[in-house]
Amino acid sequence: MPPRTLAAALLASLLAGPALAGKANDTLVYASDSEPENVSPYHNSAREGVILARNCWDTLVYRNTKTGAYEPMLATSWKWVDDTTLDLVIREGVTFHNGDALGPEDVAFTFNYVLTPEARTVTRQNVDWMKSTEVTGPHSVRIHLKQPFPAALEYLAGPTPIFPAAYFKKVGLDGFAKAPVGSGPYKIVSVDSGRGVKMERFAQYWAGSPLGTPKIGKLEFRVIPDGESRVAELMTGGVDWIWRVPSDQADQLRAAPNITILNSETMRVGFLQFDTLGRAKENSPLKDVRVRQAISYAIDRKAMVDNLVRGSSRVMNALCFIDQFGCVDQGVMRYPYDPAKAKALLKEAGYPNGFEIDLGAYRERDYAEAVIGYLGAVGIKARLNYLRYAAFRDTLRSGKVSIGYQTWGSFSVNDVSAFAGVYFRGGEEDLTKDPVVIADLQAGDSSTDPEKRKEAYAKALGRIASQAYALPMFSYSTNYAFTSDLTFTAQPDEVPRFYAASWK
Amino acid sequence: MLAFTIRRILVAFAVAFTVAVASFLLLHLSGDLATSIAGPDASGPQIEQIRRDYGLDQPLLTQFLAWGWKALHLDFGNSFYFRERVIDLLAARLPITLYLGVIALAVALLVAIPLGVLAAVRRDTWIDRLALSVSVLGQAMPSFWFGLTLILIFSVNLRWLPVSGNATWKHFVLPAVALGYYAMPAVMRLTRNGMLEVLSSDFVRTARAKGLPPRKILIRHALRNAVIPVIALAAVQFGFMLGGSIVIEAVFSLQGLGQLAWESIARNDFPVVQAIVLVLAMIYIALTLAADLLNAFLDPRLRQ
Amino acid sequence: MTLPTDRAALAATLPPDTDSPVAAVIPTAARSPGAIVLGRFMRHGGCLIGGGLLGLIMLAALAAPLVAPHDPYAQDVSRRLIPPIWQAKGTWDHILGTDKLGRDYLSRLLYGAQISLLIGVSAALISGAIGTFLGVCAGYFGGRVDAAVSYIVTTRLALPVVLVALAMASLVGGSLKVVVLVLGFLLWDRFAVVARAATQQIRNQDFISAARASGLTNLRIVLQEILPNIANALIVVATLEMAHAILLEAALSFLGLGVQPPLPSWGLMIAEGKQYMFFQPWVITIPGVALLVLVLAINLLGDGLRDVTAPEGRN
Repeated sequence: MPPRTLAAALLASLLAGPALAGKANDTLVYASDSEPENVSPYHNSAREGVILARNCWDTLVYRNTKTGAYEPMLATSWKWVDDTTLDLVIREGVTFHNGDALGPEDVAFTFNYVLTPEARTVTRQNVDWMKSTEVTGPHSVRIHLKQPFPAALEYLAGPTPIFPAAYFKKVGLDGFAKAPVGSGPYKIVSVDSGRGVKMERFAQYWAGSPLGTPKIGKLEFRVIPDGESRVAELMTGGVDWIWRVPSDQADQLRAAPNITILNSETMRVGFLQFDTLGRAKENSPLKDVRVRQAISYAIDRKAMVDNLVRGSSRVMNALCFIDQFGCVDQGVMRYPYDPAKAKALLKEAGYPNGFEIDLGAYRERDYAEAVIGYLGAVGIKARLNYLRYAAFRDTLRSGKVSIGYQTWGSFSVNDVSAFAGVYFRGGEEDLTKDPVVIADLQAGDSSTDPEKRKEAYAKALGRIASQAYALPMFSYSTNYAFTSDLTFTAQPDEVPRFYAASWK
Repeated sequence: MLAFTIRRILVAFAVAFTVAVASFLLLHLSGDLATSIAGPDASGPQIEQIRRDYGLDQPLLTQFLAWGWKALHLDFGNSFYFRERVIDLLAARLPITLYLGVIALAVALLVAIPLGVLAAVRRDTWIDRLALSVSVLGQAMPSFWFGLTLILIFSVNLRWLPVSGNATWKHFVLPAVALGYYAMPAVMRLTRNGMLEVLSSDFVRTARAKGLPPRKILIRHALRNAVIPVIALAAVQFGFMLGGSIVIEAVFSLQGLGQLAWESIARNDFPVVQAIVLVLAMIYIALTLAADLLNAFLDPRLRQ
Repeated sequence: MTLPTDRAALAATLPPDTDSPVAAVIPTAARSPGAIVLGRFMRHGGCLIGGGLLGLIMLAALAAPLVAPHDPYAQDVSRRLIPPIWQAKGTWDHILGTDKLGRDYLSRLLYGAQISLLIGVSAALISGAIGTFLGVCAGYFGGRVDAAVSYIVTTRLALPVVLVALAMASLVGGSLKVVVLVLGFLLWDRFAVVARAATQQIRNQDFISAARASGLTNLRIVLQEILPNIANALIVVATLEMAHAILLEAALSFLGLGVQPPLPSWGLMIAEGKQYMFFQPWVITIPGVALLVLVLAINLLGDGLRDVTAPEGRN
């Protein structure tokens, strides 16, 4: 690095004004622990990335958070031509943050681009139901599906934001990551690796958007990896909004005068995923269904919900969030806490003294440790391997994880295909590759008859439970803590909508 | 002096070369590079293509030479995680860590040298013992605990200083104190020992005999001589601080090199880790080289 | 070649009462009867306090299975975060309260002493073996060997310890064994510097020349004549490195790459208690104070031993 650059950078870091938070500056500073590896919504699967995506990009369809109905957004109307062809009319008069008009070319470019291998899309499961998209008129596009996919609108209402084609082609993915452009209520002003993202209200945001007009002038996302530093920042007014505050801290913060605590159940479900094929360890005990069942009986999920997670979290029995379409836990096998049965099953499987195993996790270390404690009580010695999400995902995908403490928020998609499909439909994070489950999930994903879908999913979820391929634990509840100056409401999809927040 | 200088520079180069080899191996031990560069979605043939494109199918020595040549031009490749040039990441983060290190060193020297002088002058009094206790305590507290305690007292309770981040100089005060505290004991002890040695030496005795005022003797004669070894120690400590700032940066969310290193390790982003190890080691080598040469220049006894 | 920075690095380990780095580590008292040293030990306040505290902690660690009131791993999430006995809601059943998973804190503290001591002692043993070997070779043979060792030490000092330890722990996966090995392989530099300086001082003394003249092999000379004579200096370094290793383990655990749960090392307990520091500070204070006392005791003992074994160093 030339010394001059270094000096300039040093100077810049010193002269930069203090980050002012709060109502007085009309700047809402929110903090979270990690930064997405790439701000482009198709190139990260971090929750922080989803927040940026929903506040800075528009989607074709809008799902009403109150009624659950699909309403027009960038698409003014749509029509199914047949099971695999969807026609949409694109709204006129919408502009991107850089002033370009949004048109059908942008839609077609975005969807076709993210399907190419060169795009290296990280969120493949969100887009690979599409085959191709073509411009069919000055204001219309047609999406061709690979096969019938009834949840298509749900995906178009969430993790499929529209990029500006001309700009993206000019700057490429790297340029886009540094200076992203969308059409949403907030525009991104700067992306500072390791520090965060600054946003401003988009003055030309189209009138009549179901998202409304944002009330707060500026947003700032700050990356603060340390949980205690985040709480200290909130207490001293350095940041205005934090989330995922552990219940113990939230209880205490409630007493603080200027802080509001909001607890809300989320769609995120924690579960243990087992290496049923024995890829991580030779002769893995996890290949034996009795061992997996023993583990399932050994963990007191109820006690964890009541004492550790608290708030509005619930024990889950099927591998999905119970309010998602197609998530049925009637008739799936249940595993109440029964350490004696767990020990008996282990003995039957030939492990009377238990065994040693690795347990990978990437968040809520306490919960993972509690699981380890319960396993220890029946003789299974689990070692924690605690990683960052991206590293955890990579080791899991390459088959190096024996038991994964997973959590999944379904990309806020309210359909079971967004959950079970990710882990059991033969994809990269499928550690089981059970053809029966894969077939049932495919049937469910591609059937257009809601009843048939439910039936197919029920079969898949039932088999996952009876074979104990994975142990669903509980839905998460998250504690939001924010300055009492702020009016903020939470949604179960775990996407804070800052465009709807306001100062009191 | 010339012979010493040449010898010393040769050692520095040899050490730098060894560190380069070590950090090159670190990257290669971290797993299959082609797979990591290709990313999780790549297919087998794509990975093979990358292996050929990046020369990863070549013998290790060839790869090392190619890598070394690039590294000499500050090209450390791309980060697996950010898919950005490693050098750009370093350029953004290094100034923060350097800044933190400089302030921390200043804090350490400004407290430790006077304390060391006082301890020497008031030897075997309560001041001496207090200085000793401070230094012993300083070595016995985990740095993150100390850092968090500083936050609790000065940010949360007193509200004097901000908790985290690096927006203004105020943000650097607490982390610099936390980091500098650990360098204090060594500096203090060395100053005290140096002072004791000089104070009992002939020329100070002569100066005293000549009736010079004690303050003048202390500053003009004693301290000047006692401070020579402290320069070398300061250089060493500065190097240690840069390497040791990981914990402090994590506590105070300072987006410096240490934090980047920690996060990169957790993300298995080894090109970044490797470059940071290399850069920190090079800074250390350069600093100690400079300190040794300066010291040898000031104190001819050290030249053999 | 003795580099000025060697002197400076060495100074970090010095007691306040020594003229020069080298004098501090030369055990001129080594051949005096042990009783004299013992007598000095008993009169030295730092030694007594440090040794006493360390002895107590060791005793507690050894007796943990006998005196611990509960199983340190038995969790009960319905009895989480019970405060210690001196607080309003404390109970005699859990004198120091319970942790975030309802495990008895006193029991974990006792078992944690075992682990922290184990880490300190084993890391000091490994690094001591490496450093002493290199240092004695350098000091005894001199010349090229000395140059080679100086270069190895300088290289090692150039590597940032925490960063390299973290990187290595993450490559192999953090565990007790890995932490001990990584620290052992990283912390030998002071041993090498001290062993080298001490060996150089006695290399040309009469009794070594005599041994050489009587035809003893180099190995025997080193084992029989040199090592016993530099042992005191090395023990001083060993105590300091033990403390150093224990603190570094705490830092590694804090960064998530040290000893893995559910093992209760004190460093890990502080790291885990961090979450409660604002509102339930005893969770972090108890292991923090325990660690502080342990490291303080070891440092006092080390400093004291140095004074006791090298009294001529005092002006």
